[in-house]
Amino acid sequence: RKAKLFPPVPPLSFLHSFWSDGEQTPESRTFPSAAFCRPAMEINDGEEEEEFEFSRNYFLAKELGGSSKKSGRKISDIDPVDEQELRTAANNLEPKHEREVASLMESYKASYPEWGFMLRTGFGLLMYGFGSKKALIEDFASTSLTEYSVVVINGYVQSINLKQVMVAIAEVWWDQLKAKRRNSPSQAQQPFNSRSIDDLLAFMDGQEADDDKSFVCIIVNNIDGPGLREPESQHLLARIASCTHIRIIASIDHVNAPLLWDKKMVHTQFNWYWYHVPTFAPYVVEGVFFPLILAHSSTAQSAKTAAIVLQSLTPNAQSVFRVLAEYQLSHPDVEGMPIESLYAASRERFLVSSQVTLNSHLTEFKDHELVRTRRNADGQDCVYIPLANDGLQKLLPEINP
Amino acid sequence: GSIETREVHSAVAFVSARREWLDGKQNERVEVEAQKTESGLVPTHLALGSCHRGGATSGFTVSEFTPAGKLLVPSGSSSKGLHLHCCCYMEPFTILHKASSRKTDKISTGTGKSRTTRRIDLTASLPASTDISDVNAAESNERHYSNMRMEAFEAVWSSTESSIKDVLREANATIFSEIHEWVRDSFDTIVSFGVPNFHEATQPFPVVKDATSKQIFTGLVLTRNIEFVDDLVTFEDLKQHLKSQGCHVANLSSVDFSSKNGVGTCLRSLLGQFVTGSLDTADISMLATWYKEQQNNDNPVVIIIDDMERCCASILSEFIHMLSEWVLKVPAILIMGVATTVDAPRNVLPSNALHRLHARKFTFQSLPEKMNYVVETAFVKQSSEFTISHKTAVFMRNYFVHQNGSVTSFIRALKIACAQHFSTQPLCFILHWFLRDEDNEVPQSHIYGLSQERMLKLAFDLPSWKSTNNQITQLSGETLLDGLTQLKKLHKTWRMVVLCLYEAIKGENVQLLDLMCEALDPKGPFASQFDIGSRVLPSDDSTSQKFHSLEKNKGLINRAIRRVKELPANQLLVLMKAWEKHTVDVPEFHSEVKALVLSLLKLEENGESLNQNKVEMTNTRKQALRGHLNGADKNLRVANEKASNLVDLMVRRYMCPVECVALHEVLCFDCVDQLQAALIGDMRRRIQMDLQDFHAIIRCSCCSKRGSTILPSMPDSSIMYTLAQEHGDVVNVHDWYQSFKSVVLSTHMVSKRGKSRSKQHSPTPKKRKTTSELSQPSEASIQARFCKAIVELQVTGLVRMPNRRRPDYLQRLAFGS
Repeated sequence: RKAKLFPPVPPLSFLHSFWSDGEQTPESRTFPSAAFCRPAMEINDGEEEEEFEFSRNYFLAKELGGSSKKSGRKISDIDPVDEQELRTAANNLEPKHEREVASLMESYKASYPEWGFMLRTGFGLLMYGFGSKKALIEDFASTSLTEYSVVVINGYVQSINLKQVMVAIAEVWWDQLKAKRRNSPSQAQQPFNSRSIDDLLAFMDGQEADDDKSFVCIIVNNIDGPGLREPESQHLLARIASCTHIRIIASIDHVNAPLLWDKKMVHTQFNWYWYHVPTFAPYVVEGVFFPLILAHSSTAQSAKTAAIVLQSLTPNAQSVFRVLAEYQLSHPDVEGMPIESLYAASRERFLVSSQVTLNSHLTEFKDHELVRTRRNADGQDCVYIPLANDGLQKLLPEINP
Repeated sequence: GSIETREVHSAVAFVSARREWLDGKQNERVEVEAQKTESGLVPTHLALGSCHRGGATSGFTVSEFTPAGKLLVPSGSSSKGLHLHCCCYMEPFTILHKASSRKTDKISTGTGKSRTTRRIDLTASLPASTDISDVNAAESNERHYSNMRMEAFEAVWSSTESSIKDVLREANATIFSEIHEWVRDSFDTIVSFGVPNFHEATQPFPVVKDATSKQIFTGLVLTRNIEFVDDLVTFEDLKQHLKSQGCHVANLSSVDFSSKNGVGTCLRSLLGQFVTGSLDTADISMLATWYKEQQNNDNPVVIIIDDMERCCASILSEFIHMLSEWVLKVPAILIMGVATTVDAPRNVLPSNALHRLHARKFTFQSLPEKMNYVVETAFVKQSSEFTISHKTAVFMRNYFVHQNGSVTSFIRALKIACAQHFSTQPLCFILHWFLRDEDNEVPQSHIYGLSQERMLKLAFDLPSWKSTNNQITQLSGETLLDGLTQLKKLHKTWRMVVLCLYEAIKGENVQLLDLMCEALDPKGPFASQFDIGSRVLPSDDSTSQKFHSLEKNKGLINRAIRRVKELPANQLLVLMKAWEKHTVDVPEFHSEVKALVLSLLKLEENGESLNQNKVEMTNTRKQALRGHLNGADKNLRVANEKASNLVDLMVRRYMCPVECVALHEVLCFDCVDQLQAALIGDMRRRIQMDLQDFHAIIRCSCCSKRGSTILPSMPDSSIMYTLAQEHGDVVNVHDWYQSFKSVVLSTHMVSKRGKSRSKQHSPTPKKRKTTSELSQPSEASIQARFCKAIVELQVTGLVRMPNRRRPDYLQRLAFGS
């Protein structure tokens, strides 16, 4: 299909459901970058239609979600296989279209000189398109950027200490400078570890190099990844990218990734040059930290594992758990069982002799995430089992009567 | 198991660790699924290290690890094929390689955590026969030529960029000096409140006098831009200007005033710009100490806040309070950028902070004015010959007007266009040749890795040359030189005409960019007489006929011509004087313009004498005077007519759009699509289109598009994405899974029924598999594929995991493309 002049406007509701986890939202004052602005230009008929189709799709989907009778089927109805088995299967999947993917990757080699040229003219390369681009970008760097040092940052890793990264970059840049000038540099070097971020930035931005054209290239795999999603990280990355002796190549995968940046970052700091390079290579490392939907949330699985934990506890503890479970089944709408009531009920059945004993049981439950506490409307502390009712029902026969 | 014989330089370990829910902290297990190396040895410490690292961050730790060397490689492991996983892929960062002149010299060190050398080789087979030394020589040549092209680009671009920067700075020069004057006055006022004596100055607390001395002089600068990106450039210029005048200047941005970090951040940022050395604590008394230590204390401290409205109000007001307490010790003057109106501070700041401000308003150039300067410098007055085609100009105009609205981005777009021109056009070095003004020599192509014959061939193969000059058989360097000189000349005269037209229409709030787009149009009404490449100017009779019929048409050029006709005498004179400057290179017009100027001057003299006479007017002389006035009127009308004819002639004769000239490809950029793709990433749409039309990208034989049927050979994510289209904004996991399963299982139906059909295709491995593997895929593998596909859709942000409220539904985040 013909490429459109401009992307359509995302309906506002996308902003609410920004990231998959829904907790981290971009800084409220950053403006969506260019990629999401309103196109008002020469829209010819075909494009207008596409535009219309886009919004229609959105409203159709919303309508469908609201009106049509929702299927009440549960995940557990799928009857997921054992988690172990699932993981083994997931790691042994037969990749599809291996040959085509390989030739697609190969075809991008023709663009390497152009990428290198754009990088050297001062742009940051931003790779997007479906498929993991890690191998592609790193291959590009290993074949075309041999005269520059290359540092790889993996944004898909959960937490990244950018200060450490900067120290590493500064060290690499320092080595590069030293290698360029055979005579020893004039000033004594302060260990980079103890320098402040501003100092490091100034060092990378500095005019110390005789040769203005050399630089260190940073590859950021998944710059929109969980490890770099914080606005602070993005601001810092932008500042690094804007240094004179730094060039950046990054890949993005999330459709809302451009919302991470404001215009200052896009146009003056990162200075993005977009490349659409779908690879269709599987997201293997990028997906490592995502849970498998059929592995974690299945009630059968949780009930089973909960049962195993319970079986290793004392009979009294199991019975206390049973009291709680039965209460929860008979009161499906309340926040949980008040601790006082649980104590009273357990004491009645001679399961505990004192509050202390109960508390020790509860602590054990909590440690294994068998119960959680929350407060009800009256302000009482309540305990509840974080399992759905059907899971509980499966669990009950398994524990000591 | 079997290991594929691809070149793998590094250990490939696929490590997945899993925490069993019930085991808690005691008994975690780690499985190593697959591991393979070139030599069969496994660097255990790497695998371990990465596990530990990954573990620490994702909520599990590794307590027990089987010695990696003993691990088996299951056949068909996921590390097959191209998607190799580096053993250190769970590192937050690694050093891929260090700079080296020799290619083989690849050192790689992770900063103390993991050390590995690796190279991913995507080429399954290099042409084996090529001699390595040949390859190396060719490579180094290629590098050299690309460096030369790079240099050419830098020369061309920097000439454009620096002139743009200069013109923008000049445009602000008056307002800058006005601001500086005000800064000086304010500083004098502050000093007049009293300079702290030595004793006071050394105390770590502020000096307090009366209330008026607590006021901070504040310049509210109306930036009049649409985007704050442009403000940043202006404020940077202002900073440099004030610095050159001796002031101490610091820039603070709205990021420094975020409520998250409190006032400490902006103080630290402020101190960081003045005080050298590391700062452990940020305290304003340090600023006072620093100021006291300055050699001469007769310079003010100017603090520029680029976008006051984006700052957190409470932090800003706290900052203002603090500054005002200390103002006698640190004579601070604030300059705040305001994007909307002067009322902004009143809306943002609380009244007690407002009381501390002594504000004055400054106004910068408006955006359209700035834009005109930029366009004028970049395209009409530029020193380099690089230009853009009509289509590109229209695109850039629309990009500016409708989408971006910032001068900075416009310049950036121009830079991208220029860079693309240099990376795609083999003859681009001619631009550099133009720049160096070596008109009498044939461009030296060999230093750019192009033999002269090749250059000539390329040049004479350009469509614009072929379409016009096919009768010329003698293709030599001289022919090219002639062609290029002609190109340069025509381009120059085109710019002259555009400039003259712009002068004529300047007062009417017209954007030069619009005018330029019109003048560049090779299919426009004025370009029709310039058949591509023809240098024979059409005879006057035929074109003027055509011209007059076109004159009723609307358009800026017509408007300019009409306006010249109606200009009053004094404005016409100003215009003609401007034209006189612009037309120096075209003697034909220059003389005529000169004559017009003279006649207008004469007219003006007469007019002045008439005005003097007016005073002593008597009834008897009125009659005669009226006659005289009529005569002056007539003369003016004649002058108008003449000027209008002149511009008319200019347009007709010399405003040849660059795309109508032979060889224009060397200096004119015309790949709008490419520019657009680089400038505006269309993330949301393209990802979905990739999934929908993957066949167009992958070009496999197995899933050729047959209507909208979902084929099981499609990538799982594509199947899932297509299936999700049938659902609303939430998708029931169970239903989704069932439909996915039925699609996957349909493979076996198809292959059973259509064995003959599948034989017709070239037998790809995939096909063979589907036909041979008649056994159903296991439930586990279907579920695993389903899970993996959902993970991939999550990575791309197309779906969101179920939340507690709706545990059985996935939320769709993007709808159609």
